[in-house]
Amino acid sequence: MRNIIGIIALAGALAITIGDAQAFDDSKYPNLKGQWRRADLGGGQRGGLRFDSSKPPGKGQQAPLIPEYQAIFEANLADQAAGGQGTDPTFTCLSPGMPRIMIGYAPMEIVVTPETTYILMEHIHDNRRIHTDGRDWPEEPEPMFAGYSIGKWVDEDGDGRYDVLVVETRNLKNPRSYDASGIPFHEDGKTVVKERIYLDKADPNLLHDEITTFDNALTRPWMVMKNYRRVATDKPIWWREDVCAEGNNHVRIGGENYYLSAEGLLMPAKKNQAPPDLRYFKQSAR
Amino acid sequence: MKLAALLVSGALAVTSGAALAHHSFAMFDQDNPIELEGTVHEFKFTSPHSFILLRVKDQDGSVTVWNLEAGSPTALSREGWTAKTLKAGDEVRLTVEPLRSGAPGGAWNVNKIKYKDGGPIAVTH
Repeated sequence: MRNIIGIIALAGALAITIGDAQAFDDSKYPNLKGQWRRADLGGGQRGGLRFDSSKPPGKGQQAPLIPEYQAIFEANLADQAAGGQGTDPTFTCLSPGMPRIMIGYAPMEIVVTPETTYILMEHIHDNRRIHTDGRDWPEEPEPMFAGYSIGKWVDEDGDGRYDVLVVETRNLKNPRSYDASGIPFHEDGKTVVKERIYLDKADPNLLHDEITTFDNALTRPWMVMKNYRRVATDKPIWWREDVCAEGNNHVRIGGENYYLSAEGLLMPAKKNQAPPDLRYFKQSAR
Repeated sequence: MKLAALLVSGALAVTSGAALAHHSFAMFDQDNPIELEGTVHEFKFTSPHSFILLRVKDQDGSVTVWNLEAGSPTALSREGWTAKTLKAGDEVRLTVEPLRSGAPGGAWNVNKIKYKDGGPIAVTH
């Protein structure tokens, strides 16, 4: 009798295990495996990688800013031209946050599970979780640079397979900027980012992220398309570790940015820049 | 602070590979690059950016160690660079976009560095 009970129990356990394995049918999802790199190589253009790859950097981005924030942006450009960092906060290893993470400074990996799609960024590990388990928005959440993302897989062409991941991201933390030129967000922190992430119909190794940003510093929603190419390789992919604090030579003291010398000492970043306030140090003639 | 450059380049600025950075590189003067020649004190193949610490002999014979920033290891590795591509003692010549402050720092690019004898930097592809 005990043997029969044991066999029934074992069969039940196996059924549960097999049942769970069958719950995730990855054939219903687009194949997003592998390593993805931004399609915008950014080379040969002053200003480096920008938010809208189809336009020149800085003012060329034509960010639809309200006059107050256009003025902030231009003051930032003047500060950068003088050696400052303006409204670009990432020089101290702060996360670029959303939507700037999706510029794709380094390769990314996308892992799809029924409950969550993970976007794993090699760049300073700016990873994202896109929750697809039907949850509602958190109550009174602490804002995060990457925000809180809720998504839904959609079968738009009705072929029985999901082809678009529709995402909304809220509760974003400041300071952030759209890219290194310092295009600013509103200080009220009420940015909302909506995305449509999908493979190209003609090229399964080309991924699109249609990003629309809603922010009170904008005159209208700002839509930008980011594109990524899957790396073609039959070899195992090794991912790099990217620990920003390891070799960052940029320092922020008292609202000013400085630079470290080869000896690890403070140097000015701007011409005629004053040294930092040393009021808490006992100072004596050297 | 005397600039320890052996040559001041009036050539058109070229975009540094380091400009593909996650933060602004506007603090480096892209419009007025300079040529530096010196001896590698240390090559740091680190996140978020790689660095060459370069010992440069000033015109008065003193030595200044420049702190020169480039792209991330990810970016450099795509060009065949590794942590072993440069080592202490290597003599190199490179184009640098200097700090606007005039302090001994700047940005460089894998396409704008050679050995002192003009030979290309040996990379792995």
